[in-house]
Amino acid sequence: MNVLLVMIPLSILLLLGAAVAFFWAVDHDQFDDMETPGLLPLDDSDHDR
Amino acid sequence: MNAYAGAIAAAGAAECCWHCGEALPAGTVIQADIAGRRRSLCCYGCRAAAEWIEQLGLADYYRLRTEPAPKPDARESGAAAWQRPEIFRHVVRDLDADRREAMLLLEGVRCAACVWLIERALGSMPGIVSIQVNAAARRARVVWRDTEIALPQILEALSRTGYRAAPLDSQALNDVRRRESRDALKRLLVAGFGAMQAMMYAAVLYFGGNEALDPSTHELFRWLGFLAAMPVVFYSARPFFTAAMRSLKARQLGMDVPVALAIALIYAASLIEALRGGGHVYFDSVSMFVFFLLAGRYLEMRARHRAGDLTDALARLTPPFADLRREDGTIERIGIHELRVGHRVHVSEGGIVPADGALLDEQCRVDEALLSGESAPVTRRRGDMLIAGSVLLDGPVQMRIERVGTDTALAGIAALVERAQAERPQLARAGERAASRFVMRVMILTVLTAVAWGFFDPSRAFPAALAVLVVSCPCAFALAVPAAITRSLAVLARWGVLVVRPDAIQSLAETTQVVFDKTGTLTLPDLALSNVETFNGASQESALRMAASLARESRHPAARAIAAAYVGDHIEQVSAVRSQSGLGLAAIVAGRELRLGRLDFALAGRMDLDDCENAVLLADDTGPIAAFRLTEKLQPGARQVVEALQAQGLRVAIASGDSAAKVEEVAVRLGIAQWRARQLPADKLAWLTDLRTDGARVMAVGDGVNDAPVLAGADVAIAVAGSAELAQASSDIVLVDGRLASLAPARALAQRTLTILRQNQRWALLYNLTAVPIAALGFVPPWLAALGMSLSSVCVVLNALRIGRAEATP
Repeated sequence: MNVLLVMIPLSILLLLGAAVAFFWAVDHDQFDDMETPGLLPLDDSDHDR
Repeated sequence: MNAYAGAIAAAGAAECCWHCGEALPAGTVIQADIAGRRRSLCCYGCRAAAEWIEQLGLADYYRLRTEPAPKPDARESGAAAWQRPEIFRHVVRDLDADRREAMLLLEGVRCAACVWLIERALGSMPGIVSIQVNAAARRARVVWRDTEIALPQILEALSRTGYRAAPLDSQALNDVRRRESRDALKRLLVAGFGAMQAMMYAAVLYFGGNEALDPSTHELFRWLGFLAAMPVVFYSARPFFTAAMRSLKARQLGMDVPVALAIALIYAASLIEALRGGGHVYFDSVSMFVFFLLAGRYLEMRARHRAGDLTDALARLTPPFADLRREDGTIERIGIHELRVGHRVHVSEGGIVPADGALLDEQCRVDEALLSGESAPVTRRRGDMLIAGSVLLDGPVQMRIERVGTDTALAGIAALVERAQAERPQLARAGERAASRFVMRVMILTVLTAVAWGFFDPSRAFPAALAVLVVSCPCAFALAVPAAITRSLAVLARWGVLVVRPDAIQSLAETTQVVFDKTGTLTLPDLALSNVETFNGASQESALRMAASLARESRHPAARAIAAAYVGDHIEQVSAVRSQSGLGLAAIVAGRELRLGRLDFALAGRMDLDDCENAVLLADDTGPIAAFRLTEKLQPGARQVVEALQAQGLRVAIASGDSAAKVEEVAVRLGIAQWRARQLPADKLAWLTDLRTDGARVMAVGDGVNDAPVLAGADVAIAVAGSAELAQASSDIVLVDGRLASLAPARALAQRTLTILRQNQRWALLYNLTAVPIAALGFVPPWLAALGMSLSSVCVVLNALRIGRAEATP
């Protein structure tokens, strides 16, 4: 059972990391526009070549 | 190649402008090389826009777009006026020493390719720090460095791409909606994470049993559950607590009060149990409960945010500037906020009247379609009132301002909308009240359970009361409505029916009467040729060919209809064109002097013909050649939607601002018996109120600003896409372009939603009636209470998923 004492804090840490990453993404406009970025791959920019 | 590009190619790209898609004018053809090919364009504005896009290397836009580009405005963009410090201060916010921020309201953003184009084109300009375009709200947030670029240059660049932009008041920068949606997303995620963790720890307690684990491990997992639930209750559930506080202060019992009470009680009671070392903790249930509720609310919020808002709508309708005429005759451009009663203002041809005022010139024609719904332009004489928001068709004119700001007729309509919105019956409130009554009863039951057990066995009083609270958790009740509604919102959105106010589903299902607006809703703005009558032995083909050759010289709707009706490819040589505004055209066509226009113009009053008052006549000096009768084109799907709605047993009516003859014609073609013509917005609203007092539940479908009060006063209001901002802002449902036909299936779906919703409520009630007494008797251990709560919620959600499964996509 002692393994729990390692695994549980580890899972909490991972969770905190995921939450921080998600908060960062929300604050950096990643979820504001869900449509336009989907179009960008269609642009096979001749002008950059 | 996408659908739009395909359609353009199929229509014969040579016939229409490569940039804006309008028909090419006859005569001189403007051409430009775009993406290595020679393209024809309709005007120099379009050519400049296309070349600029090409120079920036953004020609891919033409491949990505799904709709034609807006026509660049030949009128001056007025960009320089934004330099005025008085206006500048209004719209710009300083971020630091040299970075400035402004929110722009964009006109002409139609699809995601527009967003892409704007972001690319502006983002590459030196001095622009960032630009974000939101296509749904049609707003752009721009941050730039004041030392390198100025606001007027940015607006200039935008207008070169063909998008007109006007800065919004700097208050718009505190984007309430964006903050709200980001906040909700974060809270939802925290609740989800917390609920998952709490459930994991609780599972150990439920399934580990007392034998396998020693008491200290139990203790550990109880406190881990407490830890996981803490952010859920204190962070994610905060909106419930603040809303509950607010409604308590206002002395009202909303849904939030019992919900907040239940969350607080379960959490506090579990904490006490954990402190006492008892086994009855419900940290998992409370987190899950919060997560389910937040998920429902988040989905509802997303639907709500699709709607436009009223202030934006007003800003779009009136110009940001007025040209003030000073005593000495000079003209100065000032901001609309600076305009005062008594100012003399200059309005140029094609310009928008900035405020209500009296005409000082002899006469002019204005398009008031936005306000009155009248499709034909109206003539105003000296001293007549020009209404803010109407478009001047010939000018320039001078006017004296008499009403500004909130006193204008336009602002009056907006106020009417707001009032009607406030007065709207809140059908959906009933369901919420039922749920909150239920929760209050459960609370009382909980107290009774605790008291009753107190007499028999005080040690079991606390766990039993808690079990009652959890097992009867209003989850299933609270989810019954949002789950069904959210599911049907998603299905409807796939059908091109965007529901803005979620409770509109209920009103939609209960509709008994439909009132359509005519122009723009049932009919298209353009005319169509319905028949050709020839005189003196002229052949129909040659009459139409000559008329069409002549009509190509004019942009009048009637002329366009005639030009479009000619399918042949032989166009006559046309020279010496004279156009007489409002009457017709005269020119030399294939060597003959011909006139096309109204009866008295074409025949120059020399003779009279019966029943040709409304026709367009082609004549030469010897007499009439042909009469062209025009009708309004029906919106695609108009006939099907009327038939389908009538088949569902609804009464269908038309209320229009147009003349009786036109309304009757359309009503007869669509098989509608009930119609009213010449209706002002106030008349329509009065009629609607009459219908509603007679017991009808009214669905109003419209598109114009003049429909806005009617839409707001109806039980359920539907705006068609491309309709006026004000109409969209006051509607419950917006139909995506060309999906008028989805209306009837949407109503059927709404009815099915209500059926499922009632099933859900009945199921939740049944579950509670069985579970609560058992819990009160103390037979329900925590794991069973949690399981019961989750299963009842899952059943409700699964049942809701049946909505839209059987129905075929219209």
